[in-house]
Amino acid sequence: MNIHIKKGLDLPLDGVAKKQRIDLRTSVSCIAVKPTDVLGFTPRLLVAVGDEVCAGQRLLVDKHDERIALTSPVDGIVKSIVRGEKRRLEAVIVERDIAQKNTSEVINHTNLSTDSPCWWMIKERPFGCIANPDHHPKGIFISLLDTNPLAPDMQYVMQGRENDFAMGLHVLAEKAPVHLCIPHGYPPPTTDSAIHIHTVEGPHPAGNIGTQVAHISPINKGEYVWTVGAQDVATIGHWIATGEYRPERIVSVGGPSARSPHYYQLIVGSQLSLICDAQLINNGYPALSPSSTNTTRIISGSVLNGTTVASNGFLGMYDQQITLIEEGDHYEFMGWLMPGLKKFSFSKTFLSGFTGLINKMSVPALFGNIMPRYTFNTNLHGSVRPFLFTGQFERIFPFDIYPLQLIKACIVGDIELQEKLGIYEVEPEDFALCEFIDPSKTEIQSIIREALEVLRKETI
Amino acid sequence: MDWLANWFEKIEPKGKLSWLGSTYEAFHTFAFTPKSVTRQGSHIRDAVDMKRSIIIVVIALIPALLFGMWNIGYQTSIATGADWNWLYMWWFGFLRMLPMIVVSYLVGLFIEFAFAQVRHHEVNEGFLATGLLIPMIVPVTTPLWQLALAVAFAVIIGKEVFGGSGMNFLNPALVARAFLFFSYPTHMSGDKVWIANDLWGTDAIAGATPLGELAAGMHPSASALDMLLGTIPGSTCETSVIAIALGALLLLFTGIASWRIMLSVFLGGGLMGLLFNAIGYNEYMQLPFYYHFLMGGFAFGAVFMATDPVTAAQTNTGKWIYGLLIGAFAVLLRVCNPAYPEGMMLSILFMNCMAPLIDHCVVAQNIKHRAKRAVAIGKEAHNG
Repeated sequence: MNIHIKKGLDLPLDGVAKKQRIDLRTSVSCIAVKPTDVLGFTPRLLVAVGDEVCAGQRLLVDKHDERIALTSPVDGIVKSIVRGEKRRLEAVIVERDIAQKNTSEVINHTNLSTDSPCWWMIKERPFGCIANPDHHPKGIFISLLDTNPLAPDMQYVMQGRENDFAMGLHVLAEKAPVHLCIPHGYPPPTTDSAIHIHTVEGPHPAGNIGTQVAHISPINKGEYVWTVGAQDVATIGHWIATGEYRPERIVSVGGPSARSPHYYQLIVGSQLSLICDAQLINNGYPALSPSSTNTTRIISGSVLNGTTVASNGFLGMYDQQITLIEEGDHYEFMGWLMPGLKKFSFSKTFLSGFTGLINKMSVPALFGNIMPRYTFNTNLHGSVRPFLFTGQFERIFPFDIYPLQLIKACIVGDIELQEKLGIYEVEPEDFALCEFIDPSKTEIQSIIREALEVLRKETI
Repeated sequence: MDWLANWFEKIEPKGKLSWLGSTYEAFHTFAFTPKSVTRQGSHIRDAVDMKRSIIIVVIALIPALLFGMWNIGYQTSIATGADWNWLYMWWFGFLRMLPMIVVSYLVGLFIEFAFAQVRHHEVNEGFLATGLLIPMIVPVTTPLWQLALAVAFAVIIGKEVFGGSGMNFLNPALVARAFLFFSYPTHMSGDKVWIANDLWGTDAIAGATPLGELAAGMHPSASALDMLLGTIPGSTCETSVIAIALGALLLLFTGIASWRIMLSVFLGGGLMGLLFNAIGYNEYMQLPFYYHFLMGGFAFGAVFMATDPVTAAQTNTGKWIYGLLIGAFAVLLRVCNPAYPEGMMLSILFMNCMAPLIDHCVVAQNIKHRAKRAVAIGKEAHNG
């Protein structure tokens, strides 16, 4: 099946990663396992500070279902246990022990169960929580396309892991029908007839699992689908083939504030301080704009739905990119009246919309190169208002759902109406572009997340 | 501009004066786009905000406003036989319009600020467009006290009682016009109100609008070209279809107004006009259908009033139905109801009331087919 997405938007951010890998798998010493990244997981601690752990060993189990566990990504020693407000367990930090060797002999696993250290990599929709082993998903969806701004090129990322990936697909196909989405015109990575291959083309959110599921087989009430990241499929395949748990992640590091954007080879949960030291434009580099305080926001994930982390923070459990972007905490004089040649807007209400159109019509030869380089930062560009304008979300929301009506149903907490309007088919990330273009500056993703959490807790 | 930014930070009302927060915020965000940053969700945001969107509407109104000012002078010079050059005509109209615009903004913004202040809300910029629209759609002879009353009524009853901009179901500018229309009918219709010749006391000079002439059973004296250019009597800024089209181009290019609504209003009006042509019972019915686009407030209503996103239908399918019916009803009212020469205002207000119902039906279709899909899957699972 070919999925052609027309409604969407690619954000022209600067700082696309160069196709060059820097291997930090052994250089990063601290690695975090973060239960806060795993939705629907209530952690119970199995280890204490100072314990020696080996890769794949259970560190945390779910209080509600002890079969489900988060496992240590490396051999090492439990260095610290981070707790937040109300003693909420936020992270278990493992310090890698280079000397310690994995002595266990090669075991060939044949199937994937909750005993596997990889179980947490499987997510479940609706709700985006960790997969429940008692559920029978109607399909397992994997995407070899990431269309987020500055997202890694999956073809490049998966280079050299083709066999592991094929093995992972094979073992997942035993659980449920596997649907693999690949970019249009890309050779199928497997000839296995049990794998349903779909091609996808179009702007973001074409690469989002939610978009693909909605076009292949939308989720109805009471149905489940599982989703696994492509890199995690390779990890699962590697574990099946060799018995070795090696949760590697190749991440793209980029963004307007990155010094030299390229790819890094990391372990899931790696501390980011080495990358931040190398990438942050700080001393010796000119400030991006004179009025700015010139601080940089470090985002694990994309600018549309990632998580802000500190410069000594850790890579998110499911993230495959790091974005560095300038904080926009400065005023702009009469910003609403300025022509705005460098302002990016979907709405064409700034001069950039006009120059962008000229560029699109490929007549820049007449005008010279007037295509602006847009400045992106974290400024809200306005104040929060009620919803006034309509019909904007529909232009970038490729679902058979009325977005504004669903958002309003979520705001008022009308569960019945949410179900009728298709809440089970969406995740907050599917609304990321709506949130981006919204002139009333509403925090749509958190509204959807809160509504989904209410529903999830009712379903349990 | 650092000094101004610092000054604003210095005068921020605190302690005893902190109740003035809404007013302070309104002026501060007028001068400076705030420095607030995203907290969660999408880390970057589109540069467009409510202020920018509303200011685009205001800019789109300017061609019609400037032409309307000139036309006031032009009509007066014809009526009085005065020999003025075009610049003086414009200046004459400008002096007539300025007090109306000032009164409209002063009254409306005062109420908006008061409500925002009491509710501890931020002042919404929606009135920047409404406040300019109201003086543009009333007769030039409207006394200022009537205008002030109408604005107050529109802002309080038309908008604020429902919770402010975004919560209202009737277009506030049309509420103001309807208020005048029903409260002071003698000031709002007839032949004498459209020309600013009251200064001369020469009441006798006729200034009939094409719609007025048609309602009286006459053929309009103005040619189609005059009506296209707008050199005819009428509400202050609604006469020139060309000036309105300039504004429409801006609204459509920027995506602020819905092309679906604009197009479907004209389609609906055109279809209704053709239907009447086919019946051809009287002179009004035989009028070429495109005359309806050129006369009265049809074009102005289609471009600036029907497209108000808050009071229009919100779904794309709904917008087609909403627009088609506005156009059709406007022509129906004009031709079949001699009591109201102009049908556009009532037609839009009526469809404002119907818009939620249209949306409800459109969304119900989506709900229905989702339910059907779930049932089909359930059956399959049951059989399998």
